[in-house]
Amino acid sequence: MIETYFGADQLGSPRAMVAALLIGLAFGFVLERAGFGSSRKLAGIFYFKDMTVLKVMFTAVITAMLGLSYAFALGWVSPDQVYALPTVYRAQVLGGLLFGLGFVMSGWCPGTGAVGAASGKLDAMVFLFGAVIGSVGFNELFGALRAMGLLPAAHESGVVGEPAEPQVAFGLPRTLFALIFTLIAVGAFHAAEWIERRTAGGGSQRGGPVLKAVSIAMVVFAVALFLIPAPAPSAAGAAGPSLGDLLQSIESAEDHLEPEELADRLMSGEPDLVVVDVRSPAEYAAFHLRGAIRVALPDLPAALESHKNRGVIVLYSNGMTHPAQARDALALLGFRNVYLLTDGLDGFVERCLKPVSLRNEPLSPQQAAKVRAWRAFFLGGSQPGPAPSPPPPPPEAAATAAAKAADRIPALVDPQWLAPRLNDPNVKIIDVRAQPKYNASHIPGAISLNPESVRGVVDGVPSMLLPADMLARHLSNMGIRPTDSVVIVHGNSPDDAELGNGLRDATLVGMALERVGHRTWSVLDGGFWRWASEGRPVTAELPKIQPVPYPVPSQPDAFTVDARFVAQRIGDPSTVILDVRPAEYYRGEKSDEARAGHIPGAVNRPFKQDLGQGEQFKPLDELEKAYQALIPSKSTLVIVHCRTGHQATQTFFLLRRLLGYAQVKWYDGGWTQWAAQSDLPVAK
Amino acid sequence: MNDKTKSSPTGNDDQPAAYWNPYAAGVLLGATLLASFLILGAGLGASAGPARLGAFLEQCVLPDHVAQSDYFGAWVEPGKSLLSYYLVFMFGGVFVGGLLSAVLARRIQPGVERGKAFGAGPRLTLALLGGVLVGFASRMANGCTSGQALSGGAMLLNGSLVFMVCVFAGGYAAAWFFRRQWHD
Repeated sequence: MIETYFGADQLGSPRAMVAALLIGLAFGFVLERAGFGSSRKLAGIFYFKDMTVLKVMFTAVITAMLGLSYAFALGWVSPDQVYALPTVYRAQVLGGLLFGLGFVMSGWCPGTGAVGAASGKLDAMVFLFGAVIGSVGFNELFGALRAMGLLPAAHESGVVGEPAEPQVAFGLPRTLFALIFTLIAVGAFHAAEWIERRTAGGGSQRGGPVLKAVSIAMVVFAVALFLIPAPAPSAAGAAGPSLGDLLQSIESAEDHLEPEELADRLMSGEPDLVVVDVRSPAEYAAFHLRGAIRVALPDLPAALESHKNRGVIVLYSNGMTHPAQARDALALLGFRNVYLLTDGLDGFVERCLKPVSLRNEPLSPQQAAKVRAWRAFFLGGSQPGPAPSPPPPPPEAAATAAAKAADRIPALVDPQWLAPRLNDPNVKIIDVRAQPKYNASHIPGAISLNPESVRGVVDGVPSMLLPADMLARHLSNMGIRPTDSVVIVHGNSPDDAELGNGLRDATLVGMALERVGHRTWSVLDGGFWRWASEGRPVTAELPKIQPVPYPVPSQPDAFTVDARFVAQRIGDPSTVILDVRPAEYYRGEKSDEARAGHIPGAVNRPFKQDLGQGEQFKPLDELEKAYQALIPSKSTLVIVHCRTGHQATQTFFLLRRLLGYAQVKWYDGGWTQWAAQSDLPVAK
Repeated sequence: MNDKTKSSPTGNDDQPAAYWNPYAAGVLLGATLLASFLILGAGLGASAGPARLGAFLEQCVLPDHVAQSDYFGAWVEPGKSLLSYYLVFMFGGVFVGGLLSAVLARRIQPGVERGKAFGAGPRLTLALLGGVLVGFASRMANGCTSGQALSGGAMLLNGSLVFMVCVFAGGYAAAWFFRRQWHD
């Protein structure tokens, strides 16, 4: 793939200037040799006496057009590496007519004028002087022209008002338009030759064999363009994009969310997911993604301020262009958690909502079931009418809490947030500190839970998060309902260095909630110690608990991965394996297992490095930067693991809920399992 | 018209070299344009040269005015000359390339190009007025025959193709009024 100076944002660099100078040199040389240092020759086209302008220009356009088409089709260069002038019809029509008038008056245009001046033509020098004056005149009249409506607000760069964009090939497929254009050109060449034969003063530059060769070559190349297979829609292909393509999309910082993933996350009622429809109110009223809110483009920054860098914001329109611009604008305002829905609503409908019976490709029974579930969720039930108010609640009992958009629970809550909610029956507090400490004093209403009780031996591997049905029973015994917001409270004062009861205990219990599909949970920032040190109420009284049924989710969670999954991604540049154990364990200097070291290619980021004082996270800005250095983009697949899965839950929580990484997976088995399987590779 | 060598300035024996076959010249011009796309990531451009020069000259006289103006103002960057722009360099390259070719082809022909029956003064007046219009229109359309018609056309940009058609529409519509300047 070619990276151009424009693509690298280096058009202003000295090297680009030199390149431009050399290209200009060739340009000027060819213009002169074609005869364009003569105004009489240039003007000849307007009197049908000398059609050289048409022949040279049209040949050049077709040559470059075919060359560029091949470069795009064969993947030598991606279209976004080449600057395309915005289409602003009004300016281009008026400008074109005026330009034509000036051209025929003077017999010059800017490029040929330079060549004419170089050839000593006084009229060319005077012409260029006029062009300088005309440019200054335009600057002086620019405001007035806009006020008169002769120029659209978005002239040139499209910064102001409605964005101006390049439009290509009048909506026809590029190959078809290229062929038509080529045929028109070849026709025009022969017409020009005929015209010159008729007019006595005719051009002395007959095409002859060159014309024949050029015509044939052009048509052959234009036709052959159809034979190049369209580049595989790699980014969109669900099957398995090549590594190169993935890298490319990561490098170009396209933070996209695939429709399938968004569908799943919307259905699960993820609390920190905000889906924004940026289309018109009428389009929104006609159909929108269930759970999406509508916000007009100009209102986005204000409307999303409270979600800035919290959770995940997904923008969609019918296609990709408008959300991409909105995303860029939000990025300038410091939003780092904005994603685009790949291929927009159109892509979503095509990939998630298209009925199984209408699909060309065969679907596995699981995929078909998934599509039916999506269709039931997103198409079932009546869409609300013109009132674009809060999204309708999802049907699953487990997800209804998420629908309380007004009261979405942040990932980290302050004592200040929790204090007024102590008597809220929809807010439950889980205290994960050691039993004696809990018994001595706890936040009123808090339920004690030993974090080790959510783990056990699963399939022979110790310390694995228990299956969903067992976790659901725990919750049910604790009287927690699927609709409750859960606040998890850990312990440890800043000077209490003893092991356990840290932030990672809270996040481990949070993981258990995630597994049963309970997304409305948060961690009390600073834990019990901060609560108590602020002088907030505590008690030794045990709460009265009324067991309630807690449904068991029908599907396994989407974030836990096994050793096989991890092994397959070793060496995959689009995946980051994050080992959060202490550095000496990573380096293999210490080990509690049969084998020491780490998973080949894994990156070490000890979980303790994310903590500041008192089992609280360091400032998020600092962590954001630290992880930016480790993970290429927010949509990169990240696998976190530690020894038993415990410490990694803290990093998982940080990346997923606080820093907005979209694809974070958890290898629960961790080093305990990896080291015990001698067929898995180890690096030191 | 390569045989019109009435003013062979470089000596009677030295006939200027013949022009290239127009289609061959077109292929080479297209190759240059393609190189520009693939190296710079942008097409050819000529009108930005005079425009930048105009902005630069105006800035020498009225720096504050230029910095505050709607159009040129967007080009002003602190610590950077208005002439420090890749298309200014390209314009310089066109001049030098043209000069090189004209010298090698013995085609340096100082004078005012016009029909014998037309005065040099009126011809220069038309060249000046046409230049003013071309300079103005190039800014309006955001490009000239190089940037819009050639480069935009090769990218199949709708706006550029429309521009190309309008240039010839405007030219042919007005051609009759300016025909006399070429009458011998």
